[in-house]
Amino acid sequence: MTVVYILIAIVVVLLVFVVVLYNRMVRLRNEVDTGWANIDVQLKRRNDLIPNIVEAVKGYAAHERGTFEAVTKARAAVAGAQGPAAAGEADNLLTAALGKLFAVAEAYPDLKASENFLQLQNELSATEDKIAAARRYYNATVLRFNNSIQTFPAVLLAGVFGFVKREFFAAEAGDRELPEVSFQP
Amino acid sequence: MTLQQQIRANRFRTVLVLAAFGLLVIALGGAAYALGGSGMGVLVLLVGAVYGVFAYVSSGSMVAKLTGAHPVTREEWPEVYHLIDTVSIAAGMEAAPPLYVVNDPAPNAFAAGRVPAKSYVVVTSGLLESMSKRELEGVLAHEVSHIRNRDVRLMTLAAVLVGVVALVSDLLARMLYFGGGRRRGGDSGQGWIFLVLAIVTILLAPLAAVMVQMALSRRREYLADASAAEITNDPEGLALALRRLELDHREIQHVTSATAHLYIETPLRNATGPAKIVAGLFNTHPPLAARIGVLEEAGGFRLPDDLPVAPDLEMPTA
Repeated sequence: MTVVYILIAIVVVLLVFVVVLYNRMVRLRNEVDTGWANIDVQLKRRNDLIPNIVEAVKGYAAHERGTFEAVTKARAAVAGAQGPAAAGEADNLLTAALGKLFAVAEAYPDLKASENFLQLQNELSATEDKIAAARRYYNATVLRFNNSIQTFPAVLLAGVFGFVKREFFAAEAGDRELPEVSFQP
Repeated sequence: MTLQQQIRANRFRTVLVLAAFGLLVIALGGAAYALGGSGMGVLVLLVGAVYGVFAYVSSGSMVAKLTGAHPVTREEWPEVYHLIDTVSIAAGMEAAPPLYVVNDPAPNAFAAGRVPAKSYVVVTSGLLESMSKRELEGVLAHEVSHIRNRDVRLMTLAAVLVGVVALVSDLLARMLYFGGGRRRGGDSGQGWIFLVLAIVTILLAPLAAVMVQMALSRRREYLADASAAEITNDPEGLALALRRLELDHREIQHVTSATAHLYIETPLRNATGPAKIVAGLFNTHPPLAARIGVLEEAGGFRLPDDLPVAPDLEMPTA
């Protein structure tokens, strides 16, 4: 009889263990999804701003065709990117293209002084700060999630329940490391 | 300790604070009963219960009133709102908390609110005047971390519940002083025991209340610092802000022992004499130097011992 009880106890303990691990992985995966949604919101916001900026610059420098096309193309690439890693790369290309656009704008003092252009520029840089912030959160959640499904004993269950490693949103070099701060002095 | 563990621990401690408040009200009711009869006892219990419910529901706005904070709109402070927006996004918050200001030259900040969605971040006008953008970002990240880690509900409740316990026991002490003699004439033996119990309760109530609040604070400050460093990816910015707070010896007005634990650094450190000993006993914050030390170790940098005190000075980055 006692053997049966012990076996039942072991099974119960194992079940509780599996449930706890499973819930943890689900919670962390949900955080990753939320983090990605946050990035997506900011990327869309920036993509909505870009046509206005291009129009504003066109008004003064219509002949800089190549620069406009590069920006428009990069913008479309961000919108159409599949998955975080691809979106991150497209995002870097777009940032570079926008950098060139603003370099062009530098040559036109009237444009630089225009109220409209200044406002757009401010909004864009505010949105870029937010993209950077959302990326920090997202990459931190991915790190936590990936660690949780790749470490023992969760790794035994992750495959069974269909938890797969998630991609980082590609970051600029040096930005990916998160500081390790201990909670105790 | 993970964030989830911290949130769970905070939920548990919230229950403890509420239970401690209930016990204190009952003890005070007993003391009132001993002093003023059953009518008095019931009255104290009733007032305590009604206040407890009221305070639980409206604790957020009560703290704003206690500290003299008033809301600031996005139009008034676009740059600070931009900082708190990015910090909130990096913290994974659903929305950025609104900003409140306390008009006070001493630099300090805190967060309050019962639920994250209704929490707010308070800064003093002195904080904005003395900190660079980078330092301010660190301070805001620290406060947003308190909201995300669910520290604020506990701290806010502690403020409003502790505040009233001190008030009520103060009231009872006065009653004891003025009206305690009446009952003494009748039954001699038991009356004295009750009286002694009553006095002990009256003395212990504020003490117990402060102990509750002391249990809240120290660890969570380290945790909020660590979270802030992760959020901004800039432990040095926060360390610089803390060093600036350390070097600034002005003290914020409108601080009582009920609200001291809310602030990013303890506002009661300039006490002298006996008050200093008491402040040390009930210190709600770890020393700033220790907190800076932890950040230095984490970020692998070392701050100079002294910072130029000039406001709006951008710190050179190491």
